[in-house]
Amino acid sequence: MAGEIVYLKAERNVEVPEDDVFLKDIAKIYCANGNIAAKVKAIKVHRFSEAEPQRQVFGILKLIEMIQQACPNVTVENVGETDVLVERVNVDSHKGGTQWLKVVFVACISFFGTAFTIMAFHNDVGITKVFGKVYELVMGQPSPGYSILEVTYSIGLAVGIIVFFNHIGGRRITKDPTPIEVEMRIYEKDVNDALVETADREGKTVDVS
Amino acid sequence: MFLKHIFLGAMGISFGMFAAGGVFTVLISVGLIPRFAGKMHVSSKVFLFEEAVVFGTLLGDFISVFERHGKLGEFVLKNELFGQGRTEETWYVAGTAIIVVFGFFAGIFVGCLALAIAEMLNTIPIFSRRIGFRHGLGIAVLAVALGKAVGSLLYFAKAVYLYGGM
Repeated sequence: MAGEIVYLKAERNVEVPEDDVFLKDIAKIYCANGNIAAKVKAIKVHRFSEAEPQRQVFGILKLIEMIQQACPNVTVENVGETDVLVERVNVDSHKGGTQWLKVVFVACISFFGTAFTIMAFHNDVGITKVFGKVYELVMGQPSPGYSILEVTYSIGLAVGIIVFFNHIGGRRITKDPTPIEVEMRIYEKDVNDALVETADREGKTVDVS
Repeated sequence: MFLKHIFLGAMGISFGMFAAGGVFTVLISVGLIPRFAGKMHVSSKVFLFEEAVVFGTLLGDFISVFERHGKLGEFVLKNELFGQGRTEETWYVAGTAIIVVFGFFAGIFVGCLALAIAEMLNTIPIFSRRIGFRHGLGIAVLAVALGKAVGSLLYFAKAVYLYGGM
């Protein structure tokens, strides 16, 4: 058994639906020896109770210590994150009516907010005047108010955002993630980093001393 | 004449695409919608929110560029959509409801946008570091929010916009 290497790939952020947190929930584990792998995976890392905060940060050294206590003489190689943020989530609160209410709320903000923003933008740049000037410049006579310019501008605007967001009606144009999806992941990463750093600074990280 | 129209059309399309690119790069780079979705734990519905952004923009574009055809209230009142004689009262209520919904959500969006832009420039962290500010960040944020609300109300109540370019 001596000299076995356990590879540990810890995740940055884990959401667990149950009170008990096992090592297999928060990290991927590989070991050439299947018995050791199974034993390591079943290590109980933490138990959430009602009184405790619903987030907990673990230092990787603590996990390595646990592994070595369970299986002495193994070598642990960490190829993943050095801090793991474990969140206890309530599965029930993640679906149902309130969830849909939130979705509708955010969708409303996105819809009316951008409608307002584009109107404010048009107002700022005085778009009717600009169009009138351009029309007069090209056609040599005053704009009748609505011309091909306004129509094509709107088409261009639509094409622009659809290309920019890379999808229409739930179908992707190319396979790339959309800009909001990218921003979403960046935002989640920033939040995780901030939570880990804060826990570290407040000394709430579970780690070897 | 025909060639000139083609030229105008090409210009219109490029204006539109670049306006979309410019305005939306700002909106996306301040990361407002991911933040809303993250706060509400509905990040799986990002697609829907993007659709909302697309159609919201198209609505706003229609209202502001095709102003003459976007007059919903006039249309409803002229055609007496809610029946003879009752339309005016019914539409007063319905129209108010639409305005309230629009104002509320647009207000949330713009309020967050203003602060998100300030935050992107790291105003708050830099300032609080300079003056050695440690506690009471919550009070400061509340003060910012109240200040914005009071400022906005004053702006409309005292018609500050009439003095534009003072």
